[in-house]
Amino acid sequence: MIRSSSSLPPVGVSEPPLGVCEAISSEPLDIVELLRNAHHPAAGAVVLFSGEVRDHNKGRDVAYLEYEAYPPLAVKMIHEILAEAKEKWGLQLAIAQHRIGKLDIGESAVVVITAAAHRGEAYEANQHIIHRIKHEVPIWKCEYFSDGTHQWGNNCNC
Amino acid sequence: MRIHVYATLKDYFSPEFELEAVAHNTDELKRCLADINGQARQLLDSCRFAVEEGFIDNEYKLKENDTVIVIPPSSGG
Repeated sequence: MIRSSSSLPPVGVSEPPLGVCEAISSEPLDIVELLRNAHHPAAGAVVLFSGEVRDHNKGRDVAYLEYEAYPPLAVKMIHEILAEAKEKWGLQLAIAQHRIGKLDIGESAVVVITAAAHRGEAYEANQHIIHRIKHEVPIWKCEYFSDGTHQWGNNCNC
Repeated sequence: MRIHVYATLKDYFSPEFELEAVAHNTDELKRCLADINGQARQLLDSCRFAVEEGFIDNEYKLKENDTVIVIPPSSGG
């Protein structure tokens, strides 16, 4: 089971079939465990997106990232986004979990899993969910570069 | 009222502080915050505001005992 930091305010847990994890986690995301919980007998397609820390951005070498969130609102918004997507695309499952704290290169910052009868809905819903999480939910990325400088946000190329 | 700021706003303000000036709505709050640090004025224009678990707009009447969360543009993912 995915754990969250005890220093965070209590976060809600989605009722199945929306999701079985906490939406914000200060612990490394367990992609295998999340996927293990994302199967459904009526779903012929399961799409998993993992947003991962890369070692460069706009020509600069990235050393690591830090993510910050306002959990009381972020958790609520992620649950609403998942519920809306589940309704709109008729998903069997919609799961999302976002990491906070310091992340090294290659670590997963966010995972979105969608399960639907067919792949079209699963892909489309997954894209919709990650887009809204990136642009609407109060979560912020700070890039720390190898030259010792850092920069908040301003890093979305989509 | 108590103010909490996040992310890049912490380059301009303390993460948490007590606002001495009186602000009745979010437009007034933006002006009060810009008076504290004018360099944040443009950033404040792109911020959202929340009280507890809900966003507020300029129609919301701020109360002296509110804790207002100032939310800069999201950059998750």
